[in-house]
Amino acid sequence: MSFMDFTDLRYEKRTLGGKILPVVVCPRFNPRSQPMRVFDAVKGLLQGMRLTLGYLLSPSKIVTQQYPENRATLKFPERYRAILKFKYDENGLHKCTGCKNCEVACPNASIKVITRDSVITEDHELDRYIWRLDSCMFCNACVQACPFDAIEMGHAFENAVYDRRLLIYGLNPIAGPAASALENEEDPEVRRRMSDPRTILGGPIPLNGAGLPNLKPVAAAPFVDPLPIAVTDPLPPEDGEGEEVS
Amino acid sequence: MNSAPHIIQIALGAASSWQVKTVSERAADALSSNIWESIAYMAVALAAVGLLITFLGLSLIYVERKLAAHFQCRLGPMRVGPHGIFQTLADTIKLLVKEDIIPQEADKPMHLLAPFLCLAVPVLILGVVPYSPMTQIADVNIGVLFVTAVGGFGVMGILLGGWSSNNKWSMLGAMRAGAQIISYEVSATLALLVVVLFAGTMSLAGIVESQQQGWWIWRAHGVGIVAFIVYVIASTAEINRTPFDIPEGESELTAGFHTEYSGLRFSFFFLAEFINMFVVAALTSTLFLGGWMPFHIGEWEAFNGVMDLVPPGVWFVGKSSFIIFVIMWFRWTFPRLRVDQLMHLEWKVLLPIGLINLLAAALLVLRHLYFFPAA
Repeated sequence: MSFMDFTDLRYEKRTLGGKILPVVVCPRFNPRSQPMRVFDAVKGLLQGMRLTLGYLLSPSKIVTQQYPENRATLKFPERYRAILKFKYDENGLHKCTGCKNCEVACPNASIKVITRDSVITEDHELDRYIWRLDSCMFCNACVQACPFDAIEMGHAFENAVYDRRLLIYGLNPIAGPAASALENEEDPEVRRRMSDPRTILGGPIPLNGAGLPNLKPVAAAPFVDPLPIAVTDPLPPEDGEGEEVS
Repeated sequence: MNSAPHIIQIALGAASSWQVKTVSERAADALSSNIWESIAYMAVALAAVGLLITFLGLSLIYVERKLAAHFQCRLGPMRVGPHGIFQTLADTIKLLVKEDIIPQEADKPMHLLAPFLCLAVPVLILGVVPYSPMTQIADVNIGVLFVTAVGGFGVMGILLGGWSSNNKWSMLGAMRAGAQIISYEVSATLALLVVVLFAGTMSLAGIVESQQQGWWIWRAHGVGIVAFIVYVIASTAEINRTPFDIPEGESELTAGFHTEYSGLRFSFFFLAEFINMFVVAALTSTLFLGGWMPFHIGEWEAFNGVMDLVPPGVWFVGKSSFIIFVIMWFRWTFPRLRVDQLMHLEWKVLLPIGLINLLAAALLVLRHLYFFPAA
């Protein structure tokens, strides 16, 4: 219980040890009378009981989720952070410009952004966005650092694998310029040539584990190409990419 | 206008006075004619108490866990059986098959004896509680005294368990329990004496019958409600439940007096705690809320007749369940008291209130100043 009343501070000058010093005078807290304190205490207890009874009588306030059973209808809190993922616009195009702000912001060096010069426009653009789930601590600094609102923390939390090498993700399904740059191009044929497909586990090294000895590649969620643009002339697949090792 | 309820009353055989017949009376009656019938009554009584303890242990622990969860926006046990109703059963089986560890330095005989002493107390009291006019094992004519005396004996098991464990936490917990139970026994007994004064009898069945005109909690001009509140607080402390659970305060004493117990013996302590809770609830409802007596208001025959339609056993179970709910509600709402606060509450607050209340009750009884005095 507070015994000083901080709401009524007074600043004075007092003579202390022959010197005039500024002091702060804090009056004693004037306690309530004994009967009022008993009344307050009982009131507090009853308030608590009312609160808990309210919880008991309103099942809608229950926060527990029956996880494996309600997998399809899981409710996530707004700020739940599980995996890093790209945001896409209505055409399924990413917004990343390859500025590497997230890479700089990451305290664990979990993000590596590889850029290239576009073959068409000779502009700086995203090639691969590599994120390491194993070293990420989900601090959200990358999301906050992104000036283009290109990445967010997703809700997919069932990420356990049997080999830590499988925890390296390539986030971008296509390499190429951001949506804003791509949409300036009218000719669909040019647009097609501007972006190459990338898989979620594809990368400069075999990220899906294919080719590693004694390792079954992740049966990841089937890769859905968000691109409505048909890629007629894809790059040759990366080493081991897409090959099932049984 | 009063004829219809009267006919119902007569049809049910529940006229103006209740016929109380305890199991022990039946056994005594049968003794003169057929000894086997008498033995059968005793066996039934034993089996009934055993079944009651099992049922109470299984159901109260489940109810406690469920209520605790819902008081805290959780769900509680949900996996074993529908809504987890078999969770307690599964836990019991787990406890039964667990290893019974006895510390090397423990005082073995005492360590083994303590849980059984602890459980014996509520079992003894269960034998004298009037569940309904037909369901009472024995009606001791000093019922209230018996209950108080045997209830005070419960601290013995706790002290023994804590001392014999040879563990500092256990001993601290046991000493705290001793101080606490002995202190709060005073207030609880003073509150019980108020009802004894009004009812003019110590027999629990007699006290229930004396409440036919109305329950003592409100028939006694305010004295009853004060005694009721004092008794609920003091008995909550006596059964070591939050906010008075310092003997087993987890954050301070690991598990208090039963730190060193495991398996079956631990479950006995656990069971004793829950049976004790039922015993306290049953006594509170018997003494203050009319026990199995239906809710009556003086001479309102029609109203009383309707209330009589509900069987007495249901009234008893309803009232006891309500008290149990309130005690659980306390537990999941209030924070734990400190030792000095606990002693302050008893000796400086509850005891003076109890003494003054008893004095006032004595004056009221002298002047016959209570509602619906018997003609």
